[in-house]
Amino acid sequence: MTDLADRRGIETDVYQPAEDSHLLATVAAEQVDEDNLVLEVGTGSGYVAERVAGETGARVVASDLNPHACRAARDRGVEVVRADLLDPIRTDTCDVVLFNPPYLPTEEGEEWDDWMEVALSGGETGRAVIDPFLGNVGRVLAPDGYVLLLVSSLTGVEAVVETAAESGFSAVALRDESYPFESLTVLKLHR
Amino acid sequence: MKESLLDIICCPLDKAELELEVHEREGEEILEGSLTCTDCGETYPIEDGIPNLLPPDMREAA
Repeated sequence: MTDLADRRGIETDVYQPAEDSHLLATVAAEQVDEDNLVLEVGTGSGYVAERVAGETGARVVASDLNPHACRAARDRGVEVVRADLLDPIRTDTCDVVLFNPPYLPTEEGEEWDDWMEVALSGGETGRAVIDPFLGNVGRVLAPDGYVLLLVSSLTGVEAVVETAAESGFSAVALRDESYPFESLTVLKLHR
Repeated sequence: MKESLLDIICCPLDKAELELEVHEREGEEILEGSLTCTDCGETYPIEDGIPNLLPPDMREAA
């Protein structure tokens, strides 16, 4: 089992780039065009936003709930706002939205009351943050905009695809990678 | 934050435009200031270059 405690390591304030971050950054850097406006939700350390901006030349704006993450991302030169998911983003603005969400399924009572829990835990289903994100992301997307969402087998790719469909999105898996305890998929969601 | 961010962000409560007040600027970067909703009047702080656009009830708790 992938235990939250193992993933947590010693870092308790800001989620540090891991396999999931690398995968999302690599796929995003291939997909994003120079003239796109990109939003990265829950940027954490700012690693993905920095790489995508650096490798594509696109403007990348990042958001995070965690003030420590906001500072870390800003220190990397990322344009960042402190926000709850997509709340303060204008309607019909974003060409691309990137999200490596908190996705690990967590039993009640197994959680920690700190920023690392917020970065990792997706509640009992692993989809406690993904589901509201999928319900709201359509508002901020430009007419031809799309989402690149990182999903783990632990969270259930099928369930995420079904929820996305309820919000009017078609899903395509752009990349899969297998690791000892999970496989990671980057989904492209478009309308 | 850069002033051009105003084209992307809005009030998290009612999605109305925000009005910028600058207290400290360094080149293009606004380091200290505030953003006020042109509709509901709620004010959001900019501290160390980072706008805090959490709704007021989450601002203290988070």
